[in-house]
Amino acid sequence: MAKKISRREMMRSVAAGGLVLAGSMTPLNSLLAAEPGPMAKRGPQPPGPVIPRHPAILSDGKVIQPRRELAILHRTDVLVVGGGPAGTAAALAARRLNVDVTLVERYGYFGGLATGGLVLAIFPLYDRNNRQVIRGIGEEMMKRLDALKFGIIERNKAPVYPTIDPEAFKYVLVEMVLESKLDAFLDCWGVDAIIDPKGAVKGAVFESKSGRQAILADVVIDATGDGDIYAAAGAAFEKIKDTIGLVSRMGNVTVQDMLDEHMKNAIGPRNKADKGMPARGMPVTALEGHVGSPTPAPGVNWINMKGPVGDGLDVAELSRLELLHRAALWKNLRNARKKKGAENAFILETAPQMGVRLTRLLKGVKSLSTAEMKAGAKFRDVIGYCGTYANAPEFEIPYSCLIPDKLDNILAAGRCISAEFRVADTLRLIPVCWVTGQAAGVAAALSVKQKCLPRDLNITGLQNQLRQQGAFLG
Amino acid sequence: MIRGRRTPRLYIRIGCLVLAVLLVCPIPLWVYHSKILAQTSPFVFICTLLAGVSLGAGAIIGLAVSIIAMFRKRWFCHFICPAGLILEGASYIGLGKTSWWKGCPSIGKYILLITVAGSVAGYPLLLWMDPLVFFTSVFSAFSSDNLLRGILAAAGIILLLITALTSGSLWCARICPLGATQDYLAGIGSLYNKNKTTEITKNSSEKAGVKDTLPVTRRTVLSLASGAALGLWVKKVGRVKAESGLLRPPGAIEENVFTGQCVRCGNCMRACPSKIIQPDIGAAGISGFMAPAVGFKSGYCLEHCNECTKVCPSGAIQKLDLDKKQKYVIGEAVLNASLCYMVRGVNDCDICVRSCPFEAVQVYWDEESYVAFPFVDKLKCNGCGACERFCPTGNVKAITVKRTESIKI
Repeated sequence: MAKKISRREMMRSVAAGGLVLAGSMTPLNSLLAAEPGPMAKRGPQPPGPVIPRHPAILSDGKVIQPRRELAILHRTDVLVVGGGPAGTAAALAARRLNVDVTLVERYGYFGGLATGGLVLAIFPLYDRNNRQVIRGIGEEMMKRLDALKFGIIERNKAPVYPTIDPEAFKYVLVEMVLESKLDAFLDCWGVDAIIDPKGAVKGAVFESKSGRQAILADVVIDATGDGDIYAAAGAAFEKIKDTIGLVSRMGNVTVQDMLDEHMKNAIGPRNKADKGMPARGMPVTALEGHVGSPTPAPGVNWINMKGPVGDGLDVAELSRLELLHRAALWKNLRNARKKKGAENAFILETAPQMGVRLTRLLKGVKSLSTAEMKAGAKFRDVIGYCGTYANAPEFEIPYSCLIPDKLDNILAAGRCISAEFRVADTLRLIPVCWVTGQAAGVAAALSVKQKCLPRDLNITGLQNQLRQQGAFLG
Repeated sequence: MIRGRRTPRLYIRIGCLVLAVLLVCPIPLWVYHSKILAQTSPFVFICTLLAGVSLGAGAIIGLAVSIIAMFRKRWFCHFICPAGLILEGASYIGLGKTSWWKGCPSIGKYILLITVAGSVAGYPLLLWMDPLVFFTSVFSAFSSDNLLRGILAAAGIILLLITALTSGSLWCARICPLGATQDYLAGIGSLYNKNKTTEITKNSSEKAGVKDTLPVTRRTVLSLASGAALGLWVKKVGRVKAESGLLRPPGAIEENVFTGQCVRCGNCMRACPSKIIQPDIGAAGISGFMAPAVGFKSGYCLEHCNECTKVCPSGAIQKLDLDKKQKYVIGEAVLNASLCYMVRGVNDCDICVRSCPFEAVQVYWDEESYVAFPFVDKLKCNGCGACERFCPTGNVKAITVKRTESIKI
């Protein structure tokens, strides 16, 4: 199949088709009048080429995976593993420098936790003077959301942060990916790194319905969030456990948890609540049921869940938590329906992805420290800003946080970059992932073009290119 | 006075005024020295000493001035007092140099006696009447967060100026407790130098209008007794006021004596980089009027700052090094769960947890109710207010710093 029509061509035709479908103004007549092209035949298919099978073998109670050659699915200049906020920003940024870019996503949509995880609050965007310090591709995405009805609310109202509609954002990303003509693979899980005899990363291995396949690349960007690829390639990292929750959206509600009216009502029983608060344990109001905060869609709220501390890399724990979380959401719904304005509420959506916050942090050339964050540190190799949040001011993110200590040809982007836990706790937020993603994308494309290692890249060139793409570097 | 001596003295006085302004001016690098001016006052020095409150190294200045005052009567007024120079200047351009008060006895003496007796009882009642303090507090007018507080900060010196414009040197000669202190000190000095007294008294007794000996009259005894009684009473009432929920700056001594020991100079307010110390108008009653209170609207008590503890001239706020200041409990953060965004699942809020400099606020997950909430570790929380400052719930904060029963240093 791959021999008859190249992946690239296929993706382009998909892109063209997508654009036609996206433009709902296209008259149906013109579609019908067009000459029908060759269509795949329904029903039983002729046998394809024989694919050699190498099942795992149970021998002496051990499961052995036989040594085998993997099919090379694709060759590319820049491979981005993970299609979340960091991955999409990285892929789009790299593609703008006219290199071949391949974007691989585990789920059937882009946006990662911002869409599939229902993390709809876009913060921290601003500095202490309410100036937006996160721009570039992230800002472009938000501008596209502006153009959509019910796409985004509270835009440009610093210090209030915008909230996005997850479906609108999925659409915006599809649109941008199709327009950019990069090669995208969905439902494809990056499981391993490909390294050359010197130890440099040369691509990644994927599992999908087509089996285990390889994609070869000059530079790989690990935007998996968990650092799966750099960890597989042998880069040093720090293991983190953080809270894991499950966000949901509730429909048909006319009341919100953050409206001023609620605050006024809450002042009444305030002292009672203080007294009723046990020294440790369940807060009194927890039994009330939550109705969440507004989203762009009318009558729809989103409800966050902090969740208990868990290991985001332990499948047994993830499964246990997801089951408990899903049960708890219905318990909350029953309680929430007792509230005025939420009598007929229903659960519109539970996030397909659990809210895993932090799992691995790269040990990079530089690790951003808590002291640097609190001091609003500035760096010579700045590639972007993180906005002010809580008592930390806005601070610069250096390029050296994206580069592994020793491993070559790979850059980290998104929440798994090199930083201390308390800094990473802020760097993991959606717009900061756009920043590190865009920087990693541009850096990868430039090192392909200049045929150098990402760590040897000329910083000024990288910064100039980022500025040209609209990024804010101070 | 002879004209020839007067001109160099005027230069010295103007020099002292300029120096005083420089000392008190809220220049960031210089803030630490703002307490020196009020500490030169023997009135503040003696009463603080009697109240048993430590002044640290600052006591040396007060002691030196007091000793000189024993042998050079009203020397401080004649050469140094910046408030005195301003008032003298005002009385020159005065609306009329009325001297209707010439026959009146010195009120300053009784102010001094009441305050001294109050100090012995632990509550220096009228310590705030020191003219140097009035002079100092004017500079807080510019850093106050609202107009009323600004006007109140300057009210002391404005009243003195009105007095000077209408009644000449009424303040300096009759009311000023600092002047009265010097008179008493000179009296004590004269006891030791009986032979030399004649010369000293000749120079200054007419102007001051007070006898140099220490007369134990009925009025003296009465004011001493009333001062002691009042001091004890306010001290007791002040203890009840401790539950008013008012927060004091780090280093503040016990609430019931704090309001008496504090001279309302405003140094701590000007020293605070976060501008969280503001004069309290009303919350602690009359005894605590204009005394510094902490509120977290504009900032929080920074973990690497102890500026306010360095500038108190009367020891109401004791000097604390950084380590001790971090352990000083201003109050304790208390959560109102019904307002809390984290409890309600709004915006993944954990701002109080992030902002706490001492990691005293942690996310606590309650398995049974399936809700997370910020939990305050009382052993780690010193009430710095970072959580309250950054809590995003609007005007009514979900987490607030409340006064605790005991204040530990």
